[in-house]
Amino acid sequence: MVPITLYLSLAAILFCVGLYGVLTRRHLVIVLASVELMLNAVNINLVAFSSIGPYADITGQVFTLFIISVAAAEVAVGLAILIALYRNRESIDVIKHDLLRW
Amino acid sequence: MSAYNANWSLMTPEIVLGILALVIFTIDFMTGVKGKKPFLGRMSIIALLVTAVLVYINRGAGTIADIFIVDHFSTMFKIILLVGVAIVIAISMHYLDKNDDVYQGEFYSLMLFAALGAMLMVSSADLITLYIGLELLSISSYCLAGFKKHNRKSTEGAIKYVVLGGTASAFILYGMSFLYGLTGTTSIIDISQVISSLYVDYPFIVVMSILFMLAGFGFKISIVPFHMWAPDVYEGSPTPVTAFLSVVSKIAGFAIVLRVFFTTFLGSEGVLYDEWTWIIAIIATVTMIVGNLIALTQKNIKRLMAYSGVAQAGYLLVPIAAIFIPSYSIGVIIFYSIVYVFMTLGAFAIITLVTEDSGRDDFSSFSGLYKRSPYMAIAMSVFLLGLAGLPLTAGFVGKAWIFISAAQAGMLWLAGVMFVTSVISFYYYFGVIKQMFMNEPNPNDVELKAPLSISVVVTIALAVTIILGVLPGLMIDWIAYIQW
Amino acid sequence: MIQNAWLIPVFPLIAFIILLFFGRFLKEKASYVGITALALSFILSVIVLIERIGGETYSFVIEWLTFGESTITMGYEVTPLNAMMLIVVTVVSLLVHVFSKEYMREDARIHVFYSYLGLFSFSMLGLVLAPNILQLFIFWELVGLCSFLLVGFWYFKPEAAAAAKKAFLTTRIGDVGLLIGLVLLFNATGSFDYADIFAAVQAGLVNDTMITIIAICIFLGAVGKSAQFPLHVWLPDAMEGPTPVSALIHAATMVAAGVYLVGVMYPLFLASSTAMTVVAYTGAITAIFAATIALVNTDIKRILAYSTISQLGFMMLALGTGGYVAGLFHLMTHAFFKALLFLGAGSVIYAVHHRQDIREMGGLWKRMKLTSITFLIGALAIAGIFPLAGFWSKEGVLAAAWEGGDIFLFTIAVITAFMTAFYMFRLFFTAFTGTFRGDHEPHENTKLMTIPLAVLAFLAIVAGFVNTPLGFVLEDFLTQGLNVGYQAHGELWLAILSLAVAIGGIALAWAMYYKGAIAKDAFSSKLPAVHKLLLNKYYMDELYAKVFVQPTVAIGKFLWDIDRNIVDGIVNLVGRSSKITGRTFAKRHDGQLQTYGLVTIIGGLAIIALAFVLRGYFG
Repeated sequence: MVPITLYLSLAAILFCVGLYGVLTRRHLVIVLASVELMLNAVNINLVAFSSIGPYADITGQVFTLFIISVAAAEVAVGLAILIALYRNRESIDVIKHDLLRW
Repeated sequence: MSAYNANWSLMTPEIVLGILALVIFTIDFMTGVKGKKPFLGRMSIIALLVTAVLVYINRGAGTIADIFIVDHFSTMFKIILLVGVAIVIAISMHYLDKNDDVYQGEFYSLMLFAALGAMLMVSSADLITLYIGLELLSISSYCLAGFKKHNRKSTEGAIKYVVLGGTASAFILYGMSFLYGLTGTTSIIDISQVISSLYVDYPFIVVMSILFMLAGFGFKISIVPFHMWAPDVYEGSPTPVTAFLSVVSKIAGFAIVLRVFFTTFLGSEGVLYDEWTWIIAIIATVTMIVGNLIALTQKNIKRLMAYSGVAQAGYLLVPIAAIFIPSYSIGVIIFYSIVYVFMTLGAFAIITLVTEDSGRDDFSSFSGLYKRSPYMAIAMSVFLLGLAGLPLTAGFVGKAWIFISAAQAGMLWLAGVMFVTSVISFYYYFGVIKQMFMNEPNPNDVELKAPLSISVVVTIALAVTIILGVLPGLMIDWIAYIQW
Repeated sequence: MIQNAWLIPVFPLIAFIILLFFGRFLKEKASYVGITALALSFILSVIVLIERIGGETYSFVIEWLTFGESTITMGYEVTPLNAMMLIVVTVVSLLVHVFSKEYMREDARIHVFYSYLGLFSFSMLGLVLAPNILQLFIFWELVGLCSFLLVGFWYFKPEAAAAAKKAFLTTRIGDVGLLIGLVLLFNATGSFDYADIFAAVQAGLVNDTMITIIAICIFLGAVGKSAQFPLHVWLPDAMEGPTPVSALIHAATMVAAGVYLVGVMYPLFLASSTAMTVVAYTGAITAIFAATIALVNTDIKRILAYSTISQLGFMMLALGTGGYVAGLFHLMTHAFFKALLFLGAGSVIYAVHHRQDIREMGGLWKRMKLTSITFLIGALAIAGIFPLAGFWSKEGVLAAAWEGGDIFLFTIAVITAFMTAFYMFRLFFTAFTGTFRGDHEPHENTKLMTIPLAVLAFLAIVAGFVNTPLGFVLEDFLTQGLNVGYQAHGELWLAILSLAVAIGGIALAWAMYYKGAIAKDAFSSKLPAVHKLLLNKYYMDELYAKVFVQPTVAIGKFLWDIDRNIVDGIVNLVGRSSKITGRTFAKRHDGQLQTYGLVTIIGGLAIIALAFVLRGYFG
C-alpha cells in the first residue's frame, strides 16, 4: 500500500504550485485556476486521510464534496467579477490593475 | 445523536432568515430589474430584526449533532451581527437612493445571505459548518464589493478580494485538513478533547495547523500581515459595503477565532495556550503599530477607516492573547465588539452621507461640515473620538477594560503598546475633526440635509456610544457574569 | 449643603447644554447664562467650604463597574484640599466669565465661547471633586479636550489651530504615563479609590520599586498637564487662544491640575524618596529654565506663560521637598495673581487693539489707571512683596526647599525668585510707564473688565493671610487627617532674604527700564544729591548688568533657541518619524494584487519562523 506521506507530499507540492501561480502569473484566469489548485491540494489531503489516515472515516470525503461545490461557486463569482473588470478596463493582466493603492 | 432526532428548532432563526432572504430575492424579480425599491430595504431590516428576536427567544443552550451549537456566546454575537447588518442596510437605503446604476433587490438579498453566513459561522461547532458559513459570507461579500460593476475601482477591489480571499480560504482548509487527519473528526468539540494528547505526539503538525488557520482567519479580520487587501477593497467598494466589511465581516471573524481558539486550541488546562499566546501578542503589537502608523498618512476617508479598522482589530486581539480567565476575555471582546459596531457604523453613516453628497471620498469633502450640518459634525467627532478612546465615550470604557484585562493577565507591555498606539490614533482622527470644524465649507456645498434613515442610525449610534460611555455598568455588569 | 456638592459642576454643565442647543438664538445674551451658572457654583462652593471647615470629609460613591472581584466606584467627595480648589476654580472662572462678556463682545461666536467655558468649568470642577483617580483621569482628559477647543477657538488663525493640536497631543504624551501608572496602581492595590490606595501603600502591600514606578508614571501625567520641562512646549503656544482662556485654563486652573494631582496622590509620593527627588528636580529645573526665558521675551502673554511654567515648577519643587502645604498654598495664591495678570494683560491687549508686543506699549499708567494699578498689585504679588499673597506662599516654598536640605535646590529657588521679580517689573515698566509707542491711543475699559481685575487684585492682596506665622489656618485645614510629614516654616531671616531678593529684582528692573527712560533733569534739578546717589547706583547697576544680567540674558536667549529648535524639534521629530514610518509601510500598498499576496505569505512565514524559534524547534 502507498504510504500516506506520499499523498500528503503530493498535496503539499500542489499547494505550493498553486500558491506560486497566484503570486506570479499575470493572467487573472490562471491566477483563479491556481487558487483552485490550492483547494484541490486540500481535497487530496482530506481524501487521503479519510481512506488511509490514522482515523479513517467518511467525514473527510464529505468535507471534500463541500469544498468542491463551494469552490465552484467561488470561482464562478470570481469569473463574473473578472468579466466586469475586463469590460471596464479592457485587460485582465494582474499588474495593470493598480488604481487603488497607497 | 443522529441527525434525525436532533432538535432542529435550534436553527429556527437561520431558517427564517434564509426564507426571508429568498422571499426578498423573489419579490425583487417580480418588481422588474431596475428602479428604486426602498420597500425591499425596509423589508430586509424587518427580516433582520425579526431574526434577532428569534435568536433571543431561542437562546437556550443546545446542539444539533455536535455540528451546530447554540449558547450564550453565539446568541450574543448573532444579535450583534444582525443589528449591525440592519444598520448597514439602513445606510445602504440612502446610498442606493443616490446610485441608480445599482440593482437594488440583489443588493439587499446578498446582504441577508451574508448575514446568514455570519450566523452559521458563529454557531458552528464543526469545521465543515464553519467553512460553509465562512464561504457564504465571503462569496456574498465578493459580490457586494464589486457591486458597482461599471466602476473601475469597485471591480478592481472585488477581484483583489476574490483572489486573496480564495487563497485565505485555501490556507484555512489546509490547516483544517491536518486537524481532521490527526483526529478523524471535524467536530470542534471532539477535537478539543484529544488536542492535548495530540500535541504531545505531533507538536509540529498541530502548531502548523494552528498557524495556517490563524493566517486564514487573520485575513478575514484583517490583521497585519494579512491586512493588505483591506484598504484597497474598502476604498473600491460602495460605502455601505465598506461598513459591512469593516463591521460584520470582522466581528464574525473574531467570533470564529474565539470559538476555535478558546474551544479547541486552549487544550485541557491550557497546554496549548503557551504555544500561541505569544504569537498572537506579537501579531497584535505589529497590527496596532502598523495600522495606526499607516493611517497617519492617509488622505482618503475610506482608506483611513480601513487602517483604523486594522488597528481596532489589533486592540481586539489583545484580550485573546492575554487570557486571564477565558470567559472573562470573551466578555471583554464582546463589549468592545458592541461598542465598535456602533461607533464604526455611526461613522460610516455620516461618511456615506458626506461622500455621496460631494462625490469624492477624500478628507476635503468633510470641510466645514460643522457649518453645513452641526449635528452630523458633532456626532462624527464623538464617533471618531470614541474610536480613539476618549473618556466618556464607550470606546474609552472598552479600551480601558481591554487594558485592565491585559494587565491582570500580566501582559502589561502589550497594554502599553495598545495605549501608545491609541495616542497616535488621536492624531489622524483629529485630522478629520479639524476638517469639519476648522475649515470653511467648499464654495458650492450648501446645507446638508440628512435623510431619515441616516439620522436614525446616527442618533442610535450616538446614544449607545455616549450611554455606554457614561454608564457602562448597564452592559458590563451583565456581560461579566455570563459563563460563556 | 455639603451633600449637594455634586451640584457645583452641574450648574456649568447645564449652562453648556443650554448654550449648545439654544446658543445661536441667545447670541451675546449667552454670557448671562454662563455667568449665572458660575455664580451659583461659586455660592455653593463657599457654603461647602464653610461647612467643611466645621465638619468632616464627606464622600458619596456608587458602584459604577464590577470587574471580576474589584469594583470601580464613581461619586464625589469633599476633602479640605478640594474644598479649597473649588473656591479657586469657581472664583477665577466666574470672573473670567464676567470679563469675557466685554472682551469677546465683537465675536460672532460668543455663544460657542461661553458653551466651551461652561464645559471646561464642569470638567475642571468634576476633576476636583473626583473621589478616585480613574474619575479624575476621565475629567483630566475632558479638560484637555476643552483646552483644545478653546485654544483653537480662533481656528481661522493657522497658528491657533496648530497650537490647539500641539497642546492636546503634547499633553497626551504625559497621559500615556498617567494611564500606565493608573493601571499599575490598580493592579497593585486592587482599587482606584484614594483611601484604599493609601491604605494599601501604608500597609506595605506594594513593594518599594513598584511605588516608585507608579509615582513616576503618575508624575509624568502631571508633567504634561502642568507644562513641566520637557513637556512644557505647548503652553507658550497655547497663548494663541483668547486671553480670558489663557487666564482661566493656562494660568489658574487646568495647568494647576498637575500640581493638584501630585497633591492628591501625595502619600504615594511620600512613600518613595526617589519619586520625591524627581518631582523636586523637575520642578526646580522648570522653574529656573522658564524664568530665564521670560527675561528676554517681549510678547506680553508669552512672558506670562513662561512665568506660569516657572511658578508651576516652584509648586512642584515645594511638593518634592516635602512642602505639601507650601505647594498647594502657592497654587492657590498663584491662581489669583496670575489670573489677575492675564486678565490685566487682556485688558491692555484689548485697549491697544490686539497688539501683544510690550515694546509697542508704554505709558499705559496714565491712560488706563485701574488696569495699571491692579496689574501692579499682581506684579508685586508674584514678585513676593510683603504683605501680598505671593510673599507668604513663596516664602513657604523657600522654607520647604531649605528644609529639604538640598542647598542646590534652595539656590535655584532663590535665583528664580529674583528673576521673577525682575522680569515682571521689566514687563511692568516697559508696558505701563514711559511714553506710549503704539499707534492707537488706548483708553480704560468698561467696568465689566475692570471689576474682575479689582476683585482679583483684592484676592491677590489678602489670600496670603490664611497661612501666616500668626496662624497657619490653611495648614491646619489641609493637613486634617492626613499624614504628610513635617511642614517647614520659614524663619525670619528667610522672610527677609525672600523680600530682599524680590526688592533687588524690582530695583534692577526699575533702574534698567524705568530710570533709563525718564527725563533726567526733572530729578536732578530738584534733588541733586539724590540724583547723584541714584546715578552712582546706576553705574553700579550697569556693572551689575554687565556681570550678571547680560550673561543671564545670553543664557536665556540660548535656552530660548534650544527651546524653539531642539526641544520642539524633538517633539516634531517624533511626529515626523512616525509619519515617515507610516509612509514607508504604506508604499508597500502599491496596488499590485501579487505584492499583497507576497507580503501576506512572507508575513505568514515570518510568523511560522517566529513561532518555531520561540518554541526552540530549531535546536
